[in-house]
Amino acid sequence: MNGSEIFGAWVAVFLTFGIFSYLYKDNPFYKISEHVFVGVSAGYWMAMAFWTQVQPNLFGRLWPVPEGEISGFFMKAWYGIYNFFGFVLPSVFPDGGIDKGHGHDPHFMYILPFALGIMMLLSVASKLSWLARLGIAYTVGMAAGLRAYAFLNSNVLGQIKGSAVSFVDMPFFSLTGVSVFNNLIILVGTITGLLYFYFSKEHKGSFGKVTRVGIYFLMISFGASFGFAVMGRISLLIGRFTDLITYGSSTYNYASLWVLVLMIVLLAVWTFKGDKEVAS
Amino acid sequence: MEKFLDFIVRAGSLDRRIIFVVIALVVILPLFFPLGLPIRPTNSSQDVYNAVEELEAGDKALVSFEYGPSTKPEIHPMAIALLRHLFEKDVKVYITCLWPDGQFMAMEALEQVADNQYNKVYGEDYVLLGYRPGAEAVIKGLVSNIRKVFTVDSQGNFLDDIPMMVGVNQVKDFDYLFSASAGYPGTVEWVQYAADPTGVTMSTGTTSIQVNEVMPYVQSGQIVGILGGMPGAAEYESLIGQAGIGTSGMDAQSVAHLVIVGFIIFGNISFFVERRRSKKY
Repeated sequence: MNGSEIFGAWVAVFLTFGIFSYLYKDNPFYKISEHVFVGVSAGYWMAMAFWTQVQPNLFGRLWPVPEGEISGFFMKAWYGIYNFFGFVLPSVFPDGGIDKGHGHDPHFMYILPFALGIMMLLSVASKLSWLARLGIAYTVGMAAGLRAYAFLNSNVLGQIKGSAVSFVDMPFFSLTGVSVFNNLIILVGTITGLLYFYFSKEHKGSFGKVTRVGIYFLMISFGASFGFAVMGRISLLIGRFTDLITYGSSTYNYASLWVLVLMIVLLAVWTFKGDKEVAS
Repeated sequence: MEKFLDFIVRAGSLDRRIIFVVIALVVILPLFFPLGLPIRPTNSSQDVYNAVEELEAGDKALVSFEYGPSTKPEIHPMAIALLRHLFEKDVKVYITCLWPDGQFMAMEALEQVADNQYNKVYGEDYVLLGYRPGAEAVIKGLVSNIRKVFTVDSQGNFLDDIPMMVGVNQVKDFDYLFSASAGYPGTVEWVQYAADPTGVTMSTGTTSIQVNEVMPYVQSGQIVGILGGMPGAAEYESLIGQAGIGTSGMDAQSVAHLVIVGFIIFGNISFFVERRRSKKY
């Protein structure tokens, strides 16, 4: 076990206990852990997106390694811009072009997403922020178009097919497989659940009774969601405890025990001091 | 009787911090002293197992890692169990990541299973294509042409130089899809943009909280089986006969559930007793 792994374990233990300390009350340990988490997440996400997408797939397509000598005024000017960028940021724009398997000819089509991306960044400049709307409009339009078909195909047609249940060639009741009884529940649940969201008619009389059945189905569904949520949270807690137990071993210099004791003592001092200040 | 009801009402307004301590204890104790409670696979876990069992040596499986450290305890055990099953059957494994931290989860799982347990060769038996931002746009790209999205793998190797990438150009070329998902983008997007349009068999492993959202796709046959959270992982581990992290956490999970159910029942009794008293006076 090398030093950096042990140090990493200590940091992990500190941050875990820091977050757990919120269960007692809001305190500086929790604040530190929370801020570190938000900052690291944002930085990590940005770095990953840049080095796995923007640099290889955007810049790599705009300025690939050319085949042989660059000729022609336009291409010389184009790679002149690249050389200027390379002078400022040599790690992003290495000498001679970016070789990420996109061939040797620049894909000028990618100037469009490049420009839209820059426009979105301009939202921070008050005078030019209107340009950001173009980028956002493209993203929203593209996403809406892309999703419309997929939702129609999978969520509407696929689910209608899935709800078209059969009542023949199956046992009336089965605990493990398909049965007439289970399919009846799907049929009644789907119809009454949908009717509950029909608001053009007042939920009264026989219609009200049917929609009430729909509410029961919805409540059972919410109950199941709650149960799964609890199960998930307990799993995460088990994961953290498993790590804390591992880091509490002699291999990690009893990181969990030391951090726990230290944090309890400091929290006690902090609470005591706070109480005294309030009293004075 | 009245004293007993008094106790119930007082206990109903218990300090929440005491409940936290009780939950912590019932989770920790079974980790130190395992009870060995039985694990019975559900139909949905069995369906995932059967789908992988139907694959033959040399078939291609696309596994997508869409989770990070925050959901690792739920998804990582099932990802490891699934990889074990796939490598056991000599299926070629292609890994993509729609979450940036998914790449590191995949690296960790591959090191444990492919390198240390099965001695698989990178580029011949498995490949980690890596992470690409863009969510459903990435899936859509993979469906039309993988090389439009990935020209290099996570190690910087050109796709055309990787032996197992020969003849693999789009999602249709795979025999099986598996999404290890903790949210968006994840299972739902894989169904909408890859499994449904191409007809490739797809299974999934999700966090517990997602099960209700994904279950309709399983019910309708759009997804073949689902592994739900840590219990799903434990069930899969029992099916392949290799106990892992999922199995070791199940005792704690079961005991914690019992205690929580107890708290809910107790809280309700306390609520009704208090309400009856307030009506009385």
